Amino acid sequence: MPHDPYKALYLHLPFCVQRCGYCDFTTRAVPTGSTEIDEYVEDLCLQIRRKAKEGELAEVKTIYIGGGTPSHVGTSRLSMLLYTLSLSLRLEPDVECTMEANPDSLTERMVRDIWALGVNRLSIGVQSFNDSLLETLGRAHSADDARRAIVAAQERFENVSIDLMCGLPGQSANNFRASLEEAVSLGVTHISVYPLTIEKHTPFARMVACGQLEEPDDDVEAEHMELAEKVLGQAGFTRYEVASYARPGFESRHNTAYWTGVPYLGLGLAATTMTQNSNRRMRMQDGQVTDDLDARQMAAEDLMLGMRMSRGVSDERVAAASELLPDVRTTFEELARDGLAVHEHGRWKPTKTGWLCGNELYGRLFDLAP
Amino acid sequence: MANDPTHIRNFSIIAHIDHGKSTLSDRVLELTGTVAARDMQAQLLDSMDIERERGITIKSQAVRVNYTADDGEEYQFNLIDTPGHVDFTYEVSRSLAACEGAVLVVDATQGVEAQTVANAMMAMNANLEIIPLINKIDLPAADPDRVRAEIEDGLAIPADDAVLASGKTGEGVHDMLEAVVYGIPAPTGKEHAPLRALIFDSYFDAYRGVVALIRVVDGHIAKGDRVRMMATGAEVLVEEVGARRPAETPLPELTVGEVGYLVTGLKDVRQVKVGDTVTALHGGVDEPLPGYREAKPMVYTGLFPIDGDQYEPLKEALEKLSLNDPALVWEPEKSHALGFGFRVGFLGLLHMEVIKERLEREFGLDLLATAPSVEYRIHKQAGEIITIHSPQEMPDPGEIVMVEEPYLKAKILIPPDYVGAVMDLTVQRRGTFVTMNYLSQTTVEMLWEIPLSELILDYFDKLKSSTKGYASLDYDFAGYKPSKLVKLDILLSGKPIDALSFIVHKDKAYDRGRVLCEKLKEIIPRQLFEVPIQAAIGGRVLARQTVKAKRKDVLAKCYGGDISRKRKLLEKQKAGKKRMKAIGNVEVPQEAFMAILKVDD
Repeated sequence: MPHDPYKALYLHLPFCVQRCGYCDFTTRAVPTGSTEIDEYVEDLCLQIRRKAKEGELAEVKTIYIGGGTPSHVGTSRLSMLLYTLSLSLRLEPDVECTMEANPDSLTERMVRDIWALGVNRLSIGVQSFNDSLLETLGRAHSADDARRAIVAAQERFENVSIDLMCGLPGQSANNFRASLEEAVSLGVTHISVYPLTIEKHTPFARMVACGQLEEPDDDVEAEHMELAEKVLGQAGFTRYEVASYARPGFESRHNTAYWTGVPYLGLGLAATTMTQNSNRRMRMQDGQVTDDLDARQMAAEDLMLGMRMSRGVSDERVAAASELLPDVRTTFEELARDGLAVHEHGRWKPTKTGWLCGNELYGRLFDLAP
Repeated sequence: MANDPTHIRNFSIIAHIDHGKSTLSDRVLELTGTVAARDMQAQLLDSMDIERERGITIKSQAVRVNYTADDGEEYQFNLIDTPGHVDFTYEVSRSLAACEGAVLVVDATQGVEAQTVANAMMAMNANLEIIPLINKIDLPAADPDRVRAEIEDGLAIPADDAVLASGKTGEGVHDMLEAVVYGIPAPTGKEHAPLRALIFDSYFDAYRGVVALIRVVDGHIAKGDRVRMMATGAEVLVEEVGARRPAETPLPELTVGEVGYLVTGLKDVRQVKVGDTVTALHGGVDEPLPGYREAKPMVYTGLFPIDGDQYEPLKEALEKLSLNDPALVWEPEKSHALGFGFRVGFLGLLHMEVIKERLEREFGLDLLATAPSVEYRIHKQAGEIITIHSPQEMPDPGEIVMVEEPYLKAKILIPPDYVGAVMDLTVQRRGTFVTMNYLSQTTVEMLWEIPLSELILDYFDKLKSSTKGYASLDYDFAGYKPSKLVKLDILLSGKPIDALSFIVHKDKAYDRGRVLCEKLKEIIPRQLFEVPIQAAIGGRVLARQTVKAKRKDVLAKCYGGDISRKRKLLEKQKAGKKRMKAIGNVEVPQEAFMAILKVDD
C-alpha cells in the first residue's frame, strides 16, 4: 500500500545481562561475548542499509534504540550500529537519537563514544534509588551504580532521562518520594514513572500466583502517581503524558510521535512498525499484521492517544474527527460530565481522574469507531 | 405374537447419576439389534445437547425393542427412560406408572447412593417389580458381594439373584433381558374394554403437531379413532400411532399393555398434558386413570435482555420453547432498572437454569435473570386477596393485613449419621419438623414442612454438602400458610433498584440484607465514583456497604507495540461491559441479580 513517509525509527536490541522479575519484553539473558549478538547486530545493520536504499529513512526525525538493554551489547557493536545509521540517514543534532542504558553496563567510554557517533539523549533504567527494592525487582545494579551512571552520562549528555517505578511491593510513599527527590537533585531532565504491572508469564506473575508476592494495589499506585506529579511539579517538571515528566523543552519527541499518529518504522526482533496513508493504518510486528484500521478507527485512535498527553486534542482535531465520528462531541461532553476530561483554551484535556482512570477515558473514545 | 399382552414387558432403568444407566440402555438397543452398532452415538436416549452435557435426562423417552428370549418366544420390550431430577418428580411418577417393573442399576464400586434409594422408593411406591443389577463388574475395584448386601440392608430388596453386568463390555446384558422376561410381570388390562391410555410425555413437532407418548391401559387405539383427553377436554382425530425403535415406526394400532406414540395434530402442547387419560370420544370411560396433577410453576423469575433490542427475539424464543414445554408460563414484565422483559414461571431451579441456558445458546440471547421468587398471597385491608409473583408487586406495608406463602411437604432420605446436620440446616431455613422414620439400619426418612421460598435458595446444595451428597430430597406442595414477610429493598447510590428487591421473613431480613450488601460489594466493580449499597425495609436502612471509587485503571506504558496491546485490552473491556447492565450510571454485572441465592449464612 502507498504510505506516508516514516518520521520515527525504532531499533530493538533483545539482549540483557539477566531477566528482571517483572519484565515481559522481547529479550533474553545473553552474555556480552556471545557471537549471537554479533550476528544480530550485523543483520540489523543490513536491514538499516536496505531500508535506506529503498528511501524509507529519508524523513526520519527521531531515532530510539531500545531493548532489552542496548548498553549490554557493548561499545564496539554500538559503534558499528551508529556508524551504519550515520551512513543511512541524516544523523544531525536536530534529529533526536535516544539510547536506552542500564547503570551496570553504561561505562564512561561508552558515553563518550555514542555521544560522538550521534546519540543525543540517554534513557537510563534506574527504577529506584533503594537497594532492597532493586533486589526485589531482580535488577543487576545498585543505587550507587545508578548514581554513578547518571553522573557519567552527564559528562556529555544534557538530555538524560531515567525510569522510576512505583507501587512496588514494600515501597512506602516516603520511600518513593526519596527516589523522586534524588532524581531531581541529580539534575536529570526527563523522568518516566511507571506503576508496577504484573504481566503474564513473568516470574512476578508466578510469585503472585503462589502468594509469595503481594499484588500491586491500585489505590497505592494512584497515590504514588499523584505524589510524583506533586514532587516533580514543584521541582519544575511538567507532566506532559500519563507517565512522562520533563523540564521544559526536554519532552521526548520520539515517544510523542507514538501518541500523535506519526508513522514509525521498527527494525529488529518484535519491533513494531506503524505505516499509514490518509485512510488506512496498519501495525506490523515480525511480518504479522497486528492492527488494520480504517479511517474512522484511525480518527478514534488518534483522539484516544492524544488524550494521553496533557495538551490533549484541539477543537480543530475534534471537528475534523466529527466528520467521520458523528458522536464525538457528545462523547467529550459526557467525559467532561464524568470528570474525565475538561475543555480549556480551545482544547480537550484529560483531568487527573482522566489520567488515573485512563482505560475508561480511552475506552469511550475507542468505542466511537465500530 | 409380540403384541399379545403376556409377551409385553414395560420397564424403566433407574440409577444414581453416573452408575451407567444410559450405557446400559444403549447396550439393550445394540443387543436386540434395534440400532446397528455403527449408528451408535454414545447415550442415544438423551437427545438434547444440554441433556448430554449435564448428564441429566429432562424429557422422558420410550423405545420399543423386540427380544427373542432363551425360551424361543419373541417379546416386546418397552424401555422407558425417565427424567432424573427433583424438579421433574411428577413426570417421573407418570413414566413409572406406565411400567410394571424397573431395573435398578447400582455401581459395583460405589454401592447404594442417595439417588439409588430415592429412585428405588419411587419405584416401590409405584408398585413396580424391581430387578437389582450390579453394574461395572469389569472394574478392578468392583465388590459385588458388598453391594449386594447394601441393596438388601439399605433397600430391603432381595439381591441374591441380582444381575451382574457391565455396560462397557456388554457382559450380563443378556442376563438382564432374561430377568426382565421372567421377573417383570406382563401388563394386565382389559382388551375388550373402552380405551384408557396414560399420557406420560408430550412434545411439539413442527410438522405433525403435538405428539404424545402413551401407555394403553385398557382397550386399543388406532389411526382414525376419535379420542378425547379427559382433563383438558381436547378432542382429536388420531392421525397416527406407532412405536419408537428408536425411529418412529407407524403401526395399525396400539393395543392393551402397549407403549407408543400418538400423533394428535393439535397445535398446543398444553392440550396434551402429562398424566392425562386418553379415552374414546364415543363410548369412552367416565373415570380417568388416577394420579393426574396440573403441572404448576413453583418459582418465578424475571428474564430481561441485556440489550433492549432483544426483547422481541426473547418473546419469540419463549413462544418457541413453550410449544414443547407446557410447564413454562410467562407474561411481560417491566422493571425501572432493567426495562422490558418477562416474568417466567418454572417447575424448579434446574428447569429455570436449563431454559435460560437454552435461550442463550439456541437463540443467541444475552439474558439477565433476577432472583427467583415464589407465588405469595396477600390479604389487603379491603378484604381483597391478591397473588403476586414478584417483589415489585408487593403493596405498601400499610395496605397489608396478612401475607401467606407456599409450603412444601419435604421428604429427606439420609443415613442416620446426618440427622443432626439436616435438623440444623432445615430449622435454620424455617422448616417445621413433622416426623422421622427408620426405613432400615442405613436409611432414615425425615418429613418436614418448609417454605418454598427457602428451598429455592441454596437449600438443596447445602443439604447435599452437609450430608456428603447422601441426602435425597423429594417434595410436594403442602399449601399456603401465613408468614411474617416483608419486602427488602436494595438501593444503589441511594436509588431503590426494583430488580434487586426480594421478599424475606422478618426475622431474617437483617441478616440477609447484611450478607447481600457484602456480596454485592464484591460483585459490583469499582466505578469512577463511590457507590453506596443499602438494604432497607420501607425506608429504614438495615445495612450499608460502599464500593469505593476506582482510583487507578490505566496502562502507563504506551509506546510502539504497546498500542496494539492496548487496543486488544480495550476490546476486552468492551466485551466485559456487554455482560453488565447500566442501572442509572452504575454498571452492574449479571451475577448481582442472583447474589441472593448464594447467601451463606
